[in-house]
Amino acid sequence: MTTPVQTPAPAPTPAHRRPATSAPEARGHLWVYAVLAGGLVLLVGPFLWMLLGSFKPDAELRQVPPTWLPASPTTDNYRQLFTQLDFPQFFFNSTVVALAITVGNLVFCSMLGYALAKLQFPGKRVVFALVLGMLMVPGMVTFVPLFMLVSQLGMVNSYPGLILPWLAQPFGVFLMRQFILGLPDDLIHAARVDGAGEFRIFTRVILPLCGPALATLGILQFLATWNNFLWPLVVAQSEEKYTLPVALALYAIGENSTRYGLLMAGSVATILPILLIFVLLQRYFVQGIAMTGLK
Amino acid sequence: MASATAQRPARTGGNRGARVRRREGIAGWGFALPFLLVFAVFMAGPVLASFAMSFTDLRSADLRDPLGVNPIGLDNYVKLFGDDTFRQAALNTAYFVVVGIPLTMVLGLAAAVGLDAGITRFRTFFRVGYYLPVVTSIVAIAVVWRLLLEPESGIVNTLLGYLGIDGPNWLTDTRTAMPALIVMAAWRNMGFLMVIFLAGLQAIPRDLYEAAAMDGSNAWSRFRHVTLPMMRPTLLFGGVITGIGYLQFFEEPFVMTQGGPLDKTLSVAFYIYNQFGFGNYSYAAAISYVLFIAILVLTLVQFRLLRSKT
Amino acid sequence: MKHLRYATALVVALALGVTGCGRDEGGSGSGGQPAGKEIAAGKAKGEITVWAMGAEGEKLTELAADFSKENPEAKVNVTAFPFDAAHDKIATAIAGRQTPDVSMMGTTWMGEFAKTGAIDSTPTGLFDKSKFFEGAWNTTVVDGTSYGVPWYVETRLIFHRKDLAAKAGLQKPTTWQHFTEFANGMKDKGGAKWGAYLQPGGTGSWQSFMPFAWQAGADIMQDGKFTLDTPEMQKALEYYASFFKQGLSPTQLAPGAMETGFVKGEIGAFVSGPWHMGILREQGGAAIEGKWDVAQMPREKAGTSFIGGSDLVVFKDSKNRDAAWKFVQFLTTPAAQQKLYDLVGSLPSVQESWQSGKLADDPFLQAFGEQLKDAKSAPAIATWEQVADVIDDGIERVVRGVSDPATATKEMQAKASSIGTGS
Repeated sequence: MTTPVQTPAPAPTPAHRRPATSAPEARGHLWVYAVLAGGLVLLVGPFLWMLLGSFKPDAELRQVPPTWLPASPTTDNYRQLFTQLDFPQFFFNSTVVALAITVGNLVFCSMLGYALAKLQFPGKRVVFALVLGMLMVPGMVTFVPLFMLVSQLGMVNSYPGLILPWLAQPFGVFLMRQFILGLPDDLIHAARVDGAGEFRIFTRVILPLCGPALATLGILQFLATWNNFLWPLVVAQSEEKYTLPVALALYAIGENSTRYGLLMAGSVATILPILLIFVLLQRYFVQGIAMTGLK
Repeated sequence: MASATAQRPARTGGNRGARVRRREGIAGWGFALPFLLVFAVFMAGPVLASFAMSFTDLRSADLRDPLGVNPIGLDNYVKLFGDDTFRQAALNTAYFVVVGIPLTMVLGLAAAVGLDAGITRFRTFFRVGYYLPVVTSIVAIAVVWRLLLEPESGIVNTLLGYLGIDGPNWLTDTRTAMPALIVMAAWRNMGFLMVIFLAGLQAIPRDLYEAAAMDGSNAWSRFRHVTLPMMRPTLLFGGVITGIGYLQFFEEPFVMTQGGPLDKTLSVAFYIYNQFGFGNYSYAAAISYVLFIAILVLTLVQFRLLRSKT
Repeated sequence: MKHLRYATALVVALALGVTGCGRDEGGSGSGGQPAGKEIAAGKAKGEITVWAMGAEGEKLTELAADFSKENPEAKVNVTAFPFDAAHDKIATAIAGRQTPDVSMMGTTWMGEFAKTGAIDSTPTGLFDKSKFFEGAWNTTVVDGTSYGVPWYVETRLIFHRKDLAAKAGLQKPTTWQHFTEFANGMKDKGGAKWGAYLQPGGTGSWQSFMPFAWQAGADIMQDGKFTLDTPEMQKALEYYASFFKQGLSPTQLAPGAMETGFVKGEIGAFVSGPWHMGILREQGGAAIEGKWDVAQMPREKAGTSFIGGSDLVVFKDSKNRDAAWKFVQFLTTPAAQQKLYDLVGSLPSVQESWQSGKLADDPFLQAFGEQLKDAKSAPAIATWEQVADVIDDGIERVVRGVSDPATATKEMQAKASSIGTGS
């Protein structure tokens, strides 16, 4: 996983936008557009269908043959969603939990990532192997011990119980280390010569250069947490601590499993915020991946 | 695993005093500690506990008194080899991995190449569209896909009907259930690989292509002789990440088929979940560690395959 | 900090395998045998936390309000969650000693969770077990001790299209042979594509199959040993599979397709529980109003059906035990049970509740009430869910023609025996 074969010549600005006028382009790759658009239909089609479906009454969703556009559009599904479920509360919970875990990982992982990339300290290799090895342990297996631990700490049905166990994820360390490895050592030497303390070097010299990597990690972590399902289901024991997927699952696998319209409306409401965030940040995201050696 | 660290040239030269080294050591641990503390308590601890658990006969009935169980040595692991259902689950998982990884990678690579070389307009639009399934919660995905694959009123069979094909009942037919899930997984994950591959493609120096073009090689040969070799580390990363994820294949059968029909979509991770549900905690833990070994092996194999040739 | 040390100690102890002595054998303590009369007397006070699943969970708050009227000093906090998540949630809660005071509990989980020692045994003298359906009360009994009370029940009947049966000149089936003829008639003369739908396997198909096994004189266990390979069991499985072999029931059907098929008259009959009354009324609407009926299970050696539903349990760690039992007692009064029926359509576990109100007037419900008197449940063993999975698997294999009944029953017996009863 460590892609030890670091691209020997560090590409200067790997995310550079290529000039749009390269020769093959001119031939107007219409067929490439066609293929890509076809793929897009396959990938996005189901979502469009979901969006349209969320405005259909249940009877229409069950109809054979299916309709494309809602024959009798209705907002009932959304109305029910908001009257039957405390949506703002779930939304708030999801946001708090996802933000806290994301920030925590950004802080902890960048610190350890920096230490692993640029500092010599005894036991470093062991730490790195340990962290990476953990990436491969199937998550399910720690469930029972983890829950026992969390309940011993009295954190069941609380925000700390939802957040603390996920504050330090190995993937983030790996990602940050790869990125920081690519930064020139001279920066650090120069700062040391100037008499800067180690912590100051980290916060003033290293971190400001880590923007794309932090954006990438931030997005990935936020996404993963936002969609996480099993843990919040077990730890959140009362409705005021439910996150969105848990609340949605309440409907998806509960007695309403045949209320397709309601389910679709719930799904749309869950996806929308995350999609918005991704659209806003996607430029940094791709850049970050390009520069972290995640390639 | 840690070979990257090992390969880096040692930096300790005679010109750097012991004092500097000590200062760096202290700083290193200072930066490592916050992470390691949380990590030790909430990850390493539970992992160790479950590892120990796999050598006992802990069941759900012991939950109130977890220390009162009997050590049974390797019994759980031995039992595993005579377990028909586990064998079936292992085969299913292998099938999923062997077909799923190449499929997802090819799709992701195709999309990335298309976006990188072919087009100048709507790049962001395409990128976001292709990435949409990745950001979506599995619960929401299951809702749509179950409707899509519905034998009577589903879109898939309706479209097949236009072509005169009588589509099967995808999720309950023993022949189509697993392929349906594989396609679904590839659909869901190709966007992530696309972004990674796209980054890899953009790092390939333009001149290499120009030189190849001047030698008169066509697009396909440029792809084979320039793109693929240059992309090897990226492909490796994509393969490893996908492999780790696919070996733990769980969510698709969980929301779509519950492992049926006739256990044809029962994966190892799903079997772990079932054993967990039955309250056989120690057995579930033992299977998890077998799965861990499989992940480790697959990762190493991929390193061998994709790395050695350059 | 103390907690942290405890956790570390736990991890270390497990890691080193310092587990030594093994389980503390010996029955769950009879030390705290509660005096039911005392509980019955006073008013309930303080906070009572309750977990409940599904539709009942969502409406429980309304019942709790009635309880609070009678017991103004008690406050009931209800948490509702989906049934599918309930098992793991309860298991982890027991592990972390974070149980609520009262929980609704699937009847088939009683064996497993009672064995953890986390559930309080039913106080003597607080409930009269003869007032409950016998099959329902038996679901609470684990190794001779009762660990809760039945809350609501369900059983399986034959739903069928009355109009198609009339067209084909068929009476309600009474025996196995009749049932087969009935299904054939529905198909050949009634115009249905499928004569009678039976669940072809998958999770929970044992609940469809076991009635036929009991009817044939088979059983899951006898004297603490599994009896899944008896000739009777084989016969039952063969009979069950014959519906698929003769093309009377489809081997694959998408979720929801059975209901639409029934409404359209493509499926002539199916075996299911009371919830399908509501589904048919909702989905069929006026189109099939008055065109369907329910029939008792057919007889072979017996006419037994399956009894399921939910029990109510009180956890040992409850800080408000007396009030908790008081609340459970309230939920099993005829008034509360009738109200539960009004709210979500769940059938009362107390026989008295059936003698007045809607339950007494509705002929469909009376049919369910009648069948409930001859209905059995799964054995309350700790490993039941796992054994049930084995039976589900065996059914699916035979139905799909992968195994014959003889091989399948032998395999079921072998697998079940190796799983054991968990005691």
